[in-house]
Amino acid sequence: MSKQAKRKQKPELIHWRLYVVVGLVCLLFVSLIGRAAYIQIIEPEKLRHESDMRTLRTTSREVQRGLITDRNGEMLAVSVPVRAVWADPKQVHDKNGFADMRRWQALADVLHEPVDAILERVKSNPKKRFTYLKRQVTPGVADYIGQLKLPGVFLKSESRRYYPAGEIAAQLIGITNIDDIGIEGIENTYNSWLTGTPSKQKVRKSRDGHVVERLDIVQEGESPNDLVLSIDQRIQQLAYRELKRATEMNRATSGSVVVLDVHTGEVLAMVNTPSYNPNAREKLKPYRMRNRAMTDTYEPGSVIKPFVVAAALEAGTIKQDEVIKTYPGLMRIGGKIVRDSRYYGDMSLAEILVHSSNVGMTKIALSMPVQQLLGYLQSVGLGNYSGINLAGESAGLIHDRRRWSEFERATLSFGYGLTVTPLQLARMYAVLGSKGVLYPVSILKLKQKPQGEQVISPAVAQSVMHMLVGVTQKGGTATQAHIDGYPTAGKTGTARKAVAGGYGDDYVAQFAGVAPVNDPRLAIVVVINEPKGDKYYGGDVAAPVYAAVMSGALQMLNVEPMTAKAQVQLAGIPRSAE
Amino acid sequence: MSKPQLNLTRIIVLDLWRHKWVLVVATLVVLNAILVVYTSHVSRKLTTQWDQLLQERDRLDIEWRNLLLEEQSLAEHSRITRVATKELNMSRPLPSEEVVVRLP
Repeated sequence: MSKQAKRKQKPELIHWRLYVVVGLVCLLFVSLIGRAAYIQIIEPEKLRHESDMRTLRTTSREVQRGLITDRNGEMLAVSVPVRAVWADPKQVHDKNGFADMRRWQALADVLHEPVDAILERVKSNPKKRFTYLKRQVTPGVADYIGQLKLPGVFLKSESRRYYPAGEIAAQLIGITNIDDIGIEGIENTYNSWLTGTPSKQKVRKSRDGHVVERLDIVQEGESPNDLVLSIDQRIQQLAYRELKRATEMNRATSGSVVVLDVHTGEVLAMVNTPSYNPNAREKLKPYRMRNRAMTDTYEPGSVIKPFVVAAALEAGTIKQDEVIKTYPGLMRIGGKIVRDSRYYGDMSLAEILVHSSNVGMTKIALSMPVQQLLGYLQSVGLGNYSGINLAGESAGLIHDRRRWSEFERATLSFGYGLTVTPLQLARMYAVLGSKGVLYPVSILKLKQKPQGEQVISPAVAQSVMHMLVGVTQKGGTATQAHIDGYPTAGKTGTARKAVAGGYGDDYVAQFAGVAPVNDPRLAIVVVINEPKGDKYYGGDVAAPVYAAVMSGALQMLNVEPMTAKAQVQLAGIPRSAE
Repeated sequence: MSKPQLNLTRIIVLDLWRHKWVLVVATLVVLNAILVVYTSHVSRKLTTQWDQLLQERDRLDIEWRNLLLEEQSLAEHSRITRVATKELNMSRPLPSEEVVVRLP
């Protein structure tokens, strides 16, 4: 073996090679660690951002407008979620959305609109970023549209308000506009109470769309509140049916009925004709939407008389048992004449009210100072807001002036020269039933009895109420208001309507009353405006409505009727076999 | 050469025994790490479930609202009155015809 070969047999370490390899390996690890450190420590934000872009989503929880129910929990207004279909015309154009016209045709078919009309909206301005195609689409249709996968066409949540009571409570409840904002009635007044705001929350979603982590709340939502009204839908429905029938039969322009709970001032029913269907918004007319029972004022006529009598009794200018001479059935004051429909002879206070004698009332009114009478009428609620707190309420009008002619004082006593709303009138009659206590009117169901104000002494209120019982009995002006079983105290009113320069040929027929007299529960006012039939007296036009509503309502409230029949006792005898 | 025979296994065991606390802690660390993973997995599943339940609640709420509407339109008073009078030949008694039954 040569020396060379021997050297070769013994392996030698080539140092530079080793260093290069070791160096390379070290470099590899250093760069890996460096990269990891760079990602983890120096600039972690970028990757986090990338990750968040793919997983973080903001979800919003839509809330529906609060429910409106009557006092027994029956729904008067319910919101149901629907969808709005909208398009982004720019995106439609950019994504070549018109390539498949069959889809557009299908969209047009399901929306019941011509396809050209829809395309026109999208094509008219390609730079536009938003246009509604159709609002308030039902969820089923919305799903279908979603599956059409039209580029640039999207769905948006919104809600639609339904009014199950329909026209029965239309003016009272009011309506919302298409953006779910109350614009009329209770919907308007209590808009912020009923409206909630959606809550928004950041969440992390997994690849398959499940929420895996809930992060911070972007926007704290506010849940909407429900509203419980004092209305009793059964009575409301009954009142509306009777009023509608009477309005049609008498060909009247309009009518209102107000039913008040005597002991709390709660409104149990408030209906108006003509009404409208709040679920069909296409044909809304302003004159149908007005809540006439509280917005429209008129001269009350004879229905005011009991309160003039009460005022005089309270002032002490006449006595309970006073007999007033009305001979010869007419009276000359300041060159003008006050007359009765016929001469009734000398009358007690009750008879004056029962026959609605203007002469008798004039004598009573003239016995006391006019300011005292006006102040008294104001204290029972005339010329004041009733406390119902709804937009559009009218306070009526009482003239406040120094000089009154005797004739004006006389006309005041039978209800001319001042204006009232039906609601005010109902509140006044409720005072008679509540032993002289005036309560603020409430449209919301009350948890406890409100603080009332004693405006008539209990004795006077009681005696005036009993004087009015005769009105519905034989010989009175409103025998049609008589209810078998529920003795009722009420007063008719037939007032001529003022036109420019005097009084016209149109009338307002009214009946107002409380029942049952032995333990009053309800005060009802019926006003029928401009009856055009043969009959126009309050006793003929308004009284039947009053009787039907009052007897039905008292039955629904389980008020025991006063009947001569023997009461049935549940026998305690066991029915065992003999 | 008479070096004492060393039993490697024995040495390892002895050594481990000497550092037993470190071992225990190391095991705990590993266990803990696994538990963290497991817990976050469970929490994610629960979150998903919660979210699904919320969605279910919303769906039921919508269904309830629609059923309410249906109930209201079917139980509308004038409809009940009509059915009772026309189809069932019922009528509302007058107040004077009412008979009051008192519970003893």
